[in-house]
Amino acid sequence: MRIEVDWTRCDGHGLCALLLAENLGSDPDGYPVVHDTAVARDSVRHARRAVAACPALALRLVRD
Amino acid sequence: MTTLHRPAAPTAYGSARLLAGATHGVRADLAAHRAVHGAQQHRTRATLVEETGAVRLLGRGGAAFPVSTKLAGMPTGSSVEVVVNGSESEPASRKDRTLMTLVPHLVVDGALVVARALRTRRVTIAVHDTAAHASLTLALEERRGSEPHPERVSVRLQPARFVSGEVRAVLRGLDGRPAVPPGHRVLPTRHGLGGAPTFASNVETFAQIAVLVSLGARRYAEVGDRAEPGTTLVTLLGDVPAPGVAEVPTGLPLDALLPAAGGPVLVGGYHGHWVADARGLRVTRPSLREAGVPLNAGVVARLPESGCALAEVAAVAGWLARQSAGQCGPCLFGTAAVARDVSTLLYGRPAPDVSARLHGLVRRGACAHPDGTAAFVASALTTMTAELDAHVDRGGCGRPYLAVLPLDDGVR
Repeated sequence: MRIEVDWTRCDGHGLCALLLAENLGSDPDGYPVVHDTAVARDSVRHARRAVAACPALALRLVRD
Repeated sequence: MTTLHRPAAPTAYGSARLLAGATHGVRADLAAHRAVHGAQQHRTRATLVEETGAVRLLGRGGAAFPVSTKLAGMPTGSSVEVVVNGSESEPASRKDRTLMTLVPHLVVDGALVVARALRTRRVTIAVHDTAAHASLTLALEERRGSEPHPERVSVRLQPARFVSGEVRAVLRGLDGRPAVPPGHRVLPTRHGLGGAPTFASNVETFAQIAVLVSLGARRYAEVGDRAEPGTTLVTLLGDVPAPGVAEVPTGLPLDALLPAAGGPVLVGGYHGHWVADARGLRVTRPSLREAGVPLNAGVVARLPESGCALAEVAAVAGWLARQSAGQCGPCLFGTAAVARDVSTLLYGRPAPDVSARLHGLVRRGACAHPDGTAAFVASALTTMTAELDAHVDRGGCGRPYLAVLPLDDGVR
């Protein structure tokens, strides 16, 4: 699975970086920094939680 | 003084093809066009795929996608849309406007070839420029009497903005939505204008298709480099012998277009890269891409040594920041921060965060604007080391800002 950010929707709320720290960090403005788009099997649960928590619906988990 | 909004006469190195008959800067009407290129011809889709493949024709907008692959992947039929992207929203580039104003019939010929091959009658030419709009409209008027064609060709004037020249933004603008790139991946060939499968490409691509169909693949490939035969259009500016649009055979050493010595060279326009000199570079999209300096839409500039190079970079960086559509946070804030950093360096103060900020622009937007901006600024900073030292150590280089690189929003 792969994590994708829709940058036109993202408002930098920053929840995703807390919930999916394995793949995401934040920049000084609060926007996510994608360290790795590939979501490990063990992290899929965290990724789903991050996608569901995004208030801007900007995060997607897509099948490779 | 009267200002004539006519492009300067373009130059041809070797024999002109696209610009045949137009190198004096006079528009070719239908009769003049037919005298040079012959009658309108058509091809089946299979033949067109084969011919564009044989000459390795690459899209001339910037992405340099193989035309035959794009054509082969298209469905055919009456719902298919053909879109000619004539937005040319980069102020330094003139090649598409030159084609549309001087040889509009070549562009129309190419669009009709593609439409007929895809068995559709729906053709749209999107332009950002009134002179191009007038010339194309007149071209269609000229054909109405003597050469009627079943295709419905509409020429649409769209609002100009740098990022709205991106093909997906153009398609959204034509659909009456904001002309900004979409946030999710969409392939115009699947879901383009009005949701229909759309063959969209740059103006020069269609003109090249018209030349290819007129000459045939074998004669088309008699000129230029084997990797990308034929000619290509470039826009030259700054300290060059012949500024303006030039048609050059591919494979030409880039040095041939530039003076023997001078300031740094920009290849690929405002989303392009700076190099200290052009030695070893040849004008083909594959070789330039391999060298890490993609040709993009064909803008090549050399700065004069009499001017301040860093001031040029700062001016363009500021312009690029103003061109952000403001959709994507990392681009909106990042391009502005990078522009501020370049100004800080220009005024002789260090900008310690600039590398991190440039890195923060990479692959963090809906379109290539942040990445292109990062490429432009990062390559400038690594190329212009002596210039940077002069500014940071001594507060300036003592040379004036010459505004060699044009900005179209009136802000300097």
